[in-house]
Amino acid sequence: MRIVVCVKQVPNPEIAASQYRVDEQARTVAPVAGVQLVMSPFDEQAVEAALRIRDAQPGTTITVMSLGAESARNVIKHGLAMGADEGVLLADPAFAGSDGYTTALTLTAAIKKIGNVDLVLTGRQAADWDGGVVGAGIGELLGVPVVTFAKEVSVEAGVARVERVLDDGSEIVEAPLPVVVTVSNELGTPRVPSLRETMRAARKPVAAWSASDLGLAAAAVGAAGARRVLERMFIPVKQNRCEFIAGNSPAEQAVGLAQRLREAKLI
Amino acid sequence: MPRREIEGDWVLGWPDRKRPTLIAGKDAQGRVINGRAPITDLEGLITPTDAYYVVNQLEVPEPIHPDDWVLSVGGEVDRPLELSLKELQKLPGRTVRAVTECAGNDAGFFDYLGKGGKKPSRINQQDMQKRAAMREQNEVPSTDEIGNESTTTCAVSAGEFTGVPLAEVLKKAGLKPGAVAVRLEGFDRGQPDLAVQYRSVGRSDFKLVDPGVINYEKGLPLAKALHPDTLLAWSMNGEYLLHIHGAPVRAVVPGWSGNWWAKWLQKIEVLNTMPECYYQKHYFAYGNSPEDPHKEMITAMGVRCIIIAPLDEDSPLECGSHKIRGLAWSGMGSITRVEVSLDGGKTWQDAHLEEPRERWLWVRWSYLWEVDRPGAYRIMARASDETGRVQPQIPWNYQRKHFDGIVPTDVTIV
Repeated sequence: MRIVVCVKQVPNPEIAASQYRVDEQARTVAPVAGVQLVMSPFDEQAVEAALRIRDAQPGTTITVMSLGAESARNVIKHGLAMGADEGVLLADPAFAGSDGYTTALTLTAAIKKIGNVDLVLTGRQAADWDGGVVGAGIGELLGVPVVTFAKEVSVEAGVARVERVLDDGSEIVEAPLPVVVTVSNELGTPRVPSLRETMRAARKPVAAWSASDLGLAAAAVGAAGARRVLERMFIPVKQNRCEFIAGNSPAEQAVGLAQRLREAKLI
Repeated sequence: MPRREIEGDWVLGWPDRKRPTLIAGKDAQGRVINGRAPITDLEGLITPTDAYYVVNQLEVPEPIHPDDWVLSVGGEVDRPLELSLKELQKLPGRTVRAVTECAGNDAGFFDYLGKGGKKPSRINQQDMQKRAAMREQNEVPSTDEIGNESTTTCAVSAGEFTGVPLAEVLKKAGLKPGAVAVRLEGFDRGQPDLAVQYRSVGRSDFKLVDPGVINYEKGLPLAKALHPDTLLAWSMNGEYLLHIHGAPVRAVVPGWSGNWWAKWLQKIEVLNTMPECYYQKHYFAYGNSPEDPHKEMITAMGVRCIIIAPLDEDSPLECGSHKIRGLAWSGMGSITRVEVSLDGGKTWQDAHLEEPRERWLWVRWSYLWEVDRPGAYRIMARASDETGRVQPQIPWNYQRKHFDGIVPTDVTIV
């Protein structure tokens, strides 16, 4: 079986939000000096999901793929150190400014180039933009089923069995391969790379493909092909309102409070 | 021995061991404000700067550019001085390698040995992030909450410090007759972290003296201030001091616990009486209870010896030979002897002391243990220093400072 895990390099999400500055004019986030770039945590869980499947089915090949700058090679190496077999870096100046659509388009072209991919795994959303559309986009462009928010993924006899996280519990769905599954944090803690795997990872192959390698025109990818229009970028202002419930006694205040909560449809 | 998996990481582009890092707590802006050193994962003598423990009593101040920094030297001196960093660096320098240890390091072992309390672990289990968050909110834990927390371990590190002896600065200023103390004042300012003090005592059901907003200050007795190894340091481990470690200049007071090593220095004042600094009259003081009227400031540390391997967590071990190893240091001079006992303290054998044996640095020691009988074993180690002190030296005190008891490792041989 062949699994492709799509991973994204993001600024370390552990950094406090107050560290970031938004340039509203240029509609960009100013990079924070010294912030480490890491694999988006949900994507790390997607790699873990792939490794668990391979633990159960030896002979499975796992490819870690990332679309990004040359620095994204580091998150691929992290995936390889976790235990994946090979890496693909999609780097090309033409990919700059990709939106959810062109990212999905480019990843899909690479998945097709690999060929015979049975399972595509991604994180449920990236930890920087939180868009959550790339996984579904890949499924749409590949013309295969998409199962989102997985907490457990297994494959048996050509069928993926996925436990999905719901607001009030979970459900189990099955889909025939090939399929795209987006993985949620409920999957559990991803494994920590061991020194032995990290050393092995240094010798694992990482291919680097450009737009032309994928047969994509520069006008179709990156900012040029993007369908999203960024209207405004800003830090939302949070407004808190405090209301005191009047009353002559605690009992009266409690009645007033219950009434207000009911009016606000909170109870 | 059940081997702990070696973690891998990418270092300078190459696959390598994951480097031991600080177990840290950060403020809302992601800045480290406290941290414990991963001492069981370290090798050699010097603690890497990024893994060096961090403790602060007041708020961490905003950094000052080294070119804007001025150290004022005044009080009972003939020539009051205002020194820039460059001027300070023109004085005859000195490098000292020394252990920095928080006065409250291993405090929980007092209870373990004295009252049979829970044995603290040297594999750090403290939730430093929770402590940092409480610090930001000025929250004080209840006695029950303190009881449920892991007690402080790993608040100890060793480094190489370069600077100028405080004595050289005092010589330049000229000490007046009658000088008895040197007050070191930092530009860190704020209200004392009361939670730290309650944790030190192990309960929070009593009232602490609240001095309001203060600068960090310590009144160093003149003899220690004039010791040639007492430094005003601008460098640590081969590079300029980091802000969190007290840049531009901090005090290095070898042998005395970390609270004496005042960071972010801005003022030195020579006095003809011992000052009643909050952090030596009320906190960092030996005493029997918070109400004890005869509290005494803490100064030199005791004699310390810790077993790094094996740890309780390494049990069970297989029959065969095992290297017992650890670190030993003292607040009063170099370590001259480390002994190991494998029979609960009935008999002791000398351990091998690895060179170098520097006065203020810890020494690595080891003992090859051949064991061929399965069973439960208690490994103990004790150190002696050049002044003839054998551990333990420091009795229980209510703030649980300067623990230097003999902590056994308990392992099962199978």
